[in-house]
Amino acid sequence: MLAAFRGYSPDVASTRSDFSSVWSLYLWLGVGIAVFIFAFVGFALVRYRARPGRSPSQRDEHNTLEIGVALLLVAIIALLVFVTFRTEAKEDDPTAADAVKIHVVAFQWGWRFSYPGQGVSVVGNSNHPPNFAVPVGRPVDFSLTSSDVIHAMWIPEQRFKKDAIPGKTNRFVMEFDAGGHEAGQRILRTAAHPDGLRRLGPLRREL
Amino acid sequence: MAGLASLDHKATAAKVAIAATFFFLLSGLLALTMRAELAQPGLQLVSTHTYDELFTMHGSGMIYLFLTPAALGLGLYLVPLQIGASQIAGPRLALYGFWVYLCGGLAMYSGFLTNNGAGDAAWTGTIPLSNSSGTPGVGMDLWVIGVALATLGSLLIAITILLTILRLRAPGMTMLRMPVFSWTMLATTFMVVASFPVLIVAMGLLLAERHLGGVFTGATGSIAYQHLFWFYGHPVVYVMFFPFVGAVGESIATFSRKRFFGYRALVLSLLLFTSLSMAVWGHHMFITGAVKNQYYSLTSTLLALPAGIEYLDLIGTMVGGSLVFRAPMLFALGFVLQFLIGGLTGIVVASPPLDYHVNGSYFIVAHFHYTLFAGSLFGLMAGLHFWFPKMTGAMLRERLAKASFWVLVAGANLTFFPMFFLGYDGMPRRVADYEPRLGDLNLLSSIGAGVIAIGVVMVLVNIVVSLRRREPAGNDPWGEGQTLEWWTTSPPPATNFTSLPEITSYAPLLDLRQAAAAESASDLSRHIWRQRSEARGVER
Amino acid sequence: MAAKVGSTGGGAVTGGPKGGGGPLLAWACLQLALGTMLALWGEQVPALLFLCGAIPLLLLSAWNRVRPPTGNPRLLARVSVPVVVLALATATAALGATAGLWLFLIGAELGVFALVWLIREIVAERRTVGG
Repeated sequence: MLAAFRGYSPDVASTRSDFSSVWSLYLWLGVGIAVFIFAFVGFALVRYRARPGRSPSQRDEHNTLEIGVALLLVAIIALLVFVTFRTEAKEDDPTAADAVKIHVVAFQWGWRFSYPGQGVSVVGNSNHPPNFAVPVGRPVDFSLTSSDVIHAMWIPEQRFKKDAIPGKTNRFVMEFDAGGHEAGQRILRTAAHPDGLRRLGPLRREL
Repeated sequence: MAGLASLDHKATAAKVAIAATFFFLLSGLLALTMRAELAQPGLQLVSTHTYDELFTMHGSGMIYLFLTPAALGLGLYLVPLQIGASQIAGPRLALYGFWVYLCGGLAMYSGFLTNNGAGDAAWTGTIPLSNSSGTPGVGMDLWVIGVALATLGSLLIAITILLTILRLRAPGMTMLRMPVFSWTMLATTFMVVASFPVLIVAMGLLLAERHLGGVFTGATGSIAYQHLFWFYGHPVVYVMFFPFVGAVGESIATFSRKRFFGYRALVLSLLLFTSLSMAVWGHHMFITGAVKNQYYSLTSTLLALPAGIEYLDLIGTMVGGSLVFRAPMLFALGFVLQFLIGGLTGIVVASPPLDYHVNGSYFIVAHFHYTLFAGSLFGLMAGLHFWFPKMTGAMLRERLAKASFWVLVAGANLTFFPMFFLGYDGMPRRVADYEPRLGDLNLLSSIGAGVIAIGVVMVLVNIVVSLRRREPAGNDPWGEGQTLEWWTTSPPPATNFTSLPEITSYAPLLDLRQAAAAESASDLSRHIWRQRSEARGVER
Repeated sequence: MAAKVGSTGGGAVTGGPKGGGGPLLAWACLQLALGTMLALWGEQVPALLFLCGAIPLLLLSAWNRVRPPTGNPRLLARVSVPVVVLALATATAALGATAGLWLFLIGAELGVFALVWLIREIVAERRTVGG
C-alpha cells in the first residue's frame, strides 16, 4: 500500500526509475498544493464565519493577485512539462544497442512471447500463465501486438504499460534490474512467487 | 397529456431531472453490485461477462444518462430565470430533446433483456471489441443507438440554452452582467455544440461497422474510432463539471454574503478552460503509441492554469465574507476540497511517463470518481439544495440535509481513496477478480459504497418528506439571493417574471440591497445631522 | 389561446442587449489556434476536428449579428403534442437500424405525420400573432 511512497534507486536506467523521478515531483507538489489549500480554506471557514456586527467586505477583485497566481501557475506548469517531456522522450525512444528482442502477441485470453534471435517461444493462457525470461542489465526490445481486440501489457513493477493493438506493432525498450538468480539471466517470476506468475500471465485485458 | 407535452422550460427541466434521477439510481445499483462482487477476491456473484455489462452500463448510465442531462437540465431550468427571460428559446426543441434522450436511455437499458445482454464494451465502445465479432448481439446495437439518441437529446437542449443566452437577455443584462452560473452554462454549451455531434457520427459509423463492416478496419480504423470518440469523451467530462462549478460559485457567494470574487478573471478562465478542454483528448490514448503525446501532455497540463484561477476566485469569494454554513454551502465546500484531489491527480496523469503506469488501473478510476462523484455530484447537491426552494416552493429539511452531507463525504472518501493505492499497486480496472493481497483495500472500498448508498437514500427521503409536508419558501428563502431568480415567486409563474428590477451587475439583487442600505444609512445620518443641528440651534 | 410573453418592468417590451457574439467569436478563435498548433505538431487529420467547434459558433455569431433579436413579444404556446410524437417517431426509426426495415418505416411514417402536424401547429400560431 505504501509502495507509492517508497523511494527507488536502481543502478540501471529503467522505466521504473524514469517513472519514480517524475512521480516524486508530481506527488510532492500535488500533496503540497492540496495541504495548502485545505489549510487555507479551513482558516477561512473559521476566520470569516458570520458573527453579529461583522459585515462582509465588498472587495470583488484583486488584479495583482490574479496575475501573480497566474504567473505562478505558468511557472509550475513549465517545470512539470519540462520534466515530463524529457523523460517521455527517453521512454518512447524505441532504439537500443545490443538489445534482446522479444515479440509479444496478446490474444483473448493469453500471451505468446517469442525470441526471434533464439527461435524460442512461450505461450500461456489464463489457466497456465506464461513465464518469460529477460536478461539483467541489458536492454530488452519488445515488439507488441494483438491478434484480436486491443489488449495492453502492463508490468507494474516496471511502472510501464503499452497497448497491444491488432494490426499495429508497438515497440518499446525496458531494462530489468538484478534479482539474484541463475548467472547471466533472471527469470522474472519463479514458482516461488505464484502471484507474480499470475501477474505476468494475462497481464491485463484492455478494451 | 398537457404535462407530458408542456412547452414550459421549467416543466421540461423537471422531466429531465426525474429521468436523470431514475437512471442515476439504476446505474448506482449496478455499482453496488460491482462493489459487492469486488468486496472479496474470487468470483462470488456474477460471471465475467455479466461483470462487463455491469461496468459498461454503470459508466454509460452515469455519463450519458445522468450527469450530462442533469447538468444541462439545471441550465434549462435556471438560465432563463437568471437572465430575466420569460422562456427558453426554442421550447419545442428542448421538449423534443428530452423525449429523444429518454428513449435513448430506455433503449440502452433494454439491452439487459436480450439474449447476449446489454452493451459490454465499456462506456467507450472501443473497436475492435465493439464490432460485430467482438461483441455480437442486439444488446450492443441497442447501446449504440441509445447513446446516439441520448446524446442528440442533450445536444438539442444545450442549443436552446445557447440561443436563450444569445437572444433573450433582459434589458440591461449585458454579457458581462450575466451571473456566474449562466456563464458556466454558456461555456458548457460551446463544448456541447463542438463535440456532441462528433459522437453521434461515431455511433452512426459504429452501427454501420457492426452491420455492414468495412468502416473501421485495421489499426488505423481502431485508432480513428478512438480519435472520434475521445474528441467527445473528454469535453463531456467538462460538460459534467462546469455547470456544477457555477452552482458552487453561486452558493458560496450567497452564503458568504459577498459578490463573486474575480468575475472577469472567471469569464476569461472559463473561455480558456473550455477551449483547452477540446484539445486534450489524446491523453486518453497515450499508451496506444499512435498520437503525439507531447502535444496532448502540454495542453492537458495547461489546464491547471484556468483551474487554479477558478479556485482562487472561489476561495477569494469566501475571504472577507460573512460565512453561513447552510446545507448548500456545505456541499459547495465539499466540492471545492474533494474536486481538488481529482483535479491534482488529473495533472499527474497528464504526464505520459506517469500515465504509462496508472492508465487502465484503479488509480484512474479513483481520479475520475473524485472529479465526477466527490466533485460534480457534490456540486449538483449544492445546486439542488440551493435551488430546491425556488423550484418547488418548499424548503428541504436542513438537519437531514447536513447529515446526508456528512454521510456522503464519509462514503465518497472511503470508497474512492483506497483505489489510488490499489491502482498504483497493480490492480487493473474493469476486472471482476483480483489478486488476494488486494482484498483489504477492496473490502474497505465496498463498505464505502454502502455508505454512499445510505447517503443517497437520505437525500431522496429529504426530497420526498419536504414535498409532502411543506415548509413554504418565499421569493428569497435564503434572504441573501443575489441573482434574478430570487426576485420572482417560488416556484416562478409560467412566464417567469411579472416584473424585473434594474440590472446593474452580475448580482443585481445584492446591488439593490446595498443601495437600499446606503439610502437608509444616508437617511439615518441626515436624520442625526438634523437632530444635532436642531439641538445646536436650541443651544444657540 | 396562446399566452403572450410577460412584460418586463412596467412598460413597453423592448429587446434585450443586441450583442452577445463576442464569447462565441473568442472561443472559435481559440479552437482555430489550438487546431493549428496540433497540425503543426504533426497530426493534421485530427486537427480538422477543431473545425467542429469553430465553424458552428462563427456561423451562429454571424447570424446573431445579421438578424438580431427584435424584442417583439413572442408567442408562447403552452403545449405541443406533435413534438412528443415526433421524438417517439425518431427513436422508433433509429431502433429500426437494428430491428429491421419494418420498424424504420413505421417510425418514418409516424415522423412524417408528426412533422406535418407540427408545421400546421406552428403556422397556426404565427398566424395568430400576426392577426
